[in-house]
Amino acid sequence: MATYFARRILQSIFTLIVISMILYGLISIVPGGFMSAYTERADFTPEDLARIRAKFGLDDPIPVRYVKWLGNMLTGDMGNSFSTKRPVMQEIADRLPNTLLLMGLMMVCTLLVAIPLGILSAVKQYTWFDHVTTTVAFAGQSLPVFWFGLLLIIVFAVTLRGADGKPLLPGSGMYTLGEPFSLADRIKHLILPVSMLTFVSAAEYMRYLRSSMLDVINEDYVRTARAKGLSERLVIYKHALRNAIIPLVTLIALDLPSLFGGALFTETIFAWPGIGRLYFTAALKTDYPLVMAVLMIESALIIASSLLVDFIYALLDPRIRLS
Amino acid sequence: MKFMKNLLAVLFVASFLLSACGGNEPAPTAEAPTQTATEAPTQAVEVDPNAPVSGGTVIIGTPQEPGMMNTLLTSSSIEDAVVSLFGEGLVSVNEKGEYVPVLAKELPTVSEDGLVVTWLLKEGVKWSDGSDFTCDDVKFTMEGALSDLSQVSASGYRDIETLECPDPYTVVATFGEIYAPYLRLFAYTVPDTAGALEDMETWEMNRTPVGTGPFILSEWVPGDHLTFTKNPYYREEGKPYLDSVIIKILPSREVGMQLLGTGEIDALWDLTEADFPALKQMEADGVAFVSTVTGENELLSLNFGNNDGSAPADPSTNPHPVLYDLKVREAIQYAIDKQKIVDALLYGNVKAGNSAVPVGTFGCPQPISEFSVEKANALLDDAGWMMGDDGIRAKDGVRMSLKIATTTGNQLREQTEQVLAEMLKTVGIELVIENVPSDVLFASWESDGMRDHGTYDIVMYTTGPSTDPDSHLYSSFHSSEIPTADNEGTGSNFSRYINADVDSWLDEASTITDTARRKELYCKVIEQINKDLPRIYLYERLSIMGHRAEFHGLKISPTFVDFAWDAANWWSSK
Repeated sequence: MATYFARRILQSIFTLIVISMILYGLISIVPGGFMSAYTERADFTPEDLARIRAKFGLDDPIPVRYVKWLGNMLTGDMGNSFSTKRPVMQEIADRLPNTLLLMGLMMVCTLLVAIPLGILSAVKQYTWFDHVTTTVAFAGQSLPVFWFGLLLIIVFAVTLRGADGKPLLPGSGMYTLGEPFSLADRIKHLILPVSMLTFVSAAEYMRYLRSSMLDVINEDYVRTARAKGLSERLVIYKHALRNAIIPLVTLIALDLPSLFGGALFTETIFAWPGIGRLYFTAALKTDYPLVMAVLMIESALIIASSLLVDFIYALLDPRIRLS
Repeated sequence: MKFMKNLLAVLFVASFLLSACGGNEPAPTAEAPTQTATEAPTQAVEVDPNAPVSGGTVIIGTPQEPGMMNTLLTSSSIEDAVVSLFGEGLVSVNEKGEYVPVLAKELPTVSEDGLVVTWLLKEGVKWSDGSDFTCDDVKFTMEGALSDLSQVSASGYRDIETLECPDPYTVVATFGEIYAPYLRLFAYTVPDTAGALEDMETWEMNRTPVGTGPFILSEWVPGDHLTFTKNPYYREEGKPYLDSVIIKILPSREVGMQLLGTGEIDALWDLTEADFPALKQMEADGVAFVSTVTGENELLSLNFGNNDGSAPADPSTNPHPVLYDLKVREAIQYAIDKQKIVDALLYGNVKAGNSAVPVGTFGCPQPISEFSVEKANALLDDAGWMMGDDGIRAKDGVRMSLKIATTTGNQLREQTEQVLAEMLKTVGIELVIENVPSDVLFASWESDGMRDHGTYDIVMYTTGPSTDPDSHLYSSFHSSEIPTADNEGTGSNFSRYINADVDSWLDEASTITDTARRKELYCKVIEQINKDLPRIYLYERLSIMGHRAEFHGLKISPTFVDFAWDAANWWSSK
């Protein structure tokens, strides 16, 4: 058991290093780069450009830069953002609460919607209810988020007006500018982005649960339970759901890192000042230290959560750790 | 009806987002909404437009986020604009592109030899922390610009031998050699209390700035907004009129346009000519716009050298098989109906391009080139390019087929290319569109940039002078500025244009400060360019901002100060 854990941890560290190499390499070879903000301007002489390049450490060859960066990273120093000069960790810490709020709420709403719908549509397979929910779920999975988001803004934040003639819901940001904090205001700003995120991710969870539920319902032990004369309710919720929900738990565990990473499109469309948007703007400005930090934290979290899932499986199922 | 209109807007935006490559239909015309514009409630009739009122807040939306409030370290245009809400220079540039004194009493006096520039500063000006603004601050700013950590160009500052303060309100800058655009060096200031130059990146004022301007930053929520409130030490009594200005970070221009329509924001920064249809549609909702000619042109750069990547220092040694011939270039210009491009694609809101420096102190407008298919055909016949069976001319087995490249994903540019291709087709020139991402088009010499290495026939992009055209004209047209392996790709003379007269005029102009003489020399260059045609100017670019009709006094400067330079005079009739 211990050797299995040790092996998996070592594998994960190796994977993370390979990921960091690939990410660093890819970002570094993107044409343009941070210097393009200056190279286009006529008043910048080659000496100016050389000075700025040296200042940002862009003179070294990519492998040298990578080793330096890795060294700093290992000592916990993620560097300073190119554009704000502030420590990258501070930039991330500023946005993290906003992303946690948005994504946490989304996760709760998703589960509240997806689990009941998933169960019901499996139990009532091929009824009109099942058809409607699966169709809507299908739409949720297929709609491009950026398009759907704009649609929501146009309908709820532009076209539909409340009694006072103002838009029904705010279309961007976390709060109304110039007004003191109020919970009602915050909730209003959360409605559109959370609904959209919930719609999209609940669709996925719901379809997942429906199909695993359908598998389980046809198992022998469920038939046995029914044959024992248990109520349908007990059969479904106690015997079937417990087994059907295991794959969903895996899925949720693997989605946990997104609590940190945020939702790039949603945050961008609704001007939500979270990590996703931070990453997006940093990428546009080719702010390497910031981009790398967000990508690496996200990668580490994804690897950690899959490691966690493996461990839990190994604890639950001896066959895995022995093979 | 309203819903339908908005729905159409969504579909339009969505189709735009969904396919960068997709349908190339012209933008929908905005005729229907203009009719409703006349029925719209009359705006601001009760208010005398000449009588500003105090108080109120305006929210300005921007799709870009400023990261830094220190001019010495800024790297984006939104930063420079926002900094101008609190930061000032001895001079600024007004909406006509002219220098106006700000912290100086008047424009400086320059010695006979052009080397000594003397400024008289306004007295009694205070920084927002209460300390006095003096010559020491000007000196500190120059030292900051020259320091190792600085992210501003050291050109010009490097030529200052001494900068002395005979008294707190007099600045005497002595140049080692003449730097013609010297005014631009004094367009911003940093307080000398900011800190040590080697700690520049961690100065407190990078995020809590100190300035002499009308506003001062009072709250900054990263990724969301910046709130500016009145600077209590501002020198002009009763100003600024507004209580506060909020810079709101928006996800995109498309969303910004919607918010402008609903009044959630009062102004939207950095629109382009492609936004004219949408602005017109929102006229009825109380949306207006201001624009200023930036001095830049959307232009075609024609390659004199062979496009085989040899990057010749002298194109005559390895000329372009088609474009090296002046008659061909003239024919191309004759075949382009610039006014038609302006009317059809830009709703007549811009001027057709005619000059490398169309506006400003050194502006030298030229007559718009003639459109004549006959003359184009005659020139091409004369040059020996004979019409082939496929409608494309050929000479000595070479087909007259040229590639045009511009940045991908820019609908207006893509439409312009198609119009150009049609126009050139009528005189027997084939134009093949092969666009590339902007990072590729503008890539540097080291990154195998297509402009630097001359691996193109025609490229379309925007460029132009900042307020002083010196460096722009020099780097675009002087023969020493042709990017080659020898000079490691220095310069922007991408056409590989060589003209000894132009060289000598540019050389002379960069070593004198006499404005009238410089203007004369630049005009000669500009006229010669229009004869030799290394570049064809299509239309003058604008800097555009949409705003609510209740927001008054917004004026855009064509320089880095952008919309914020006259913020003290903004007012709101909301």
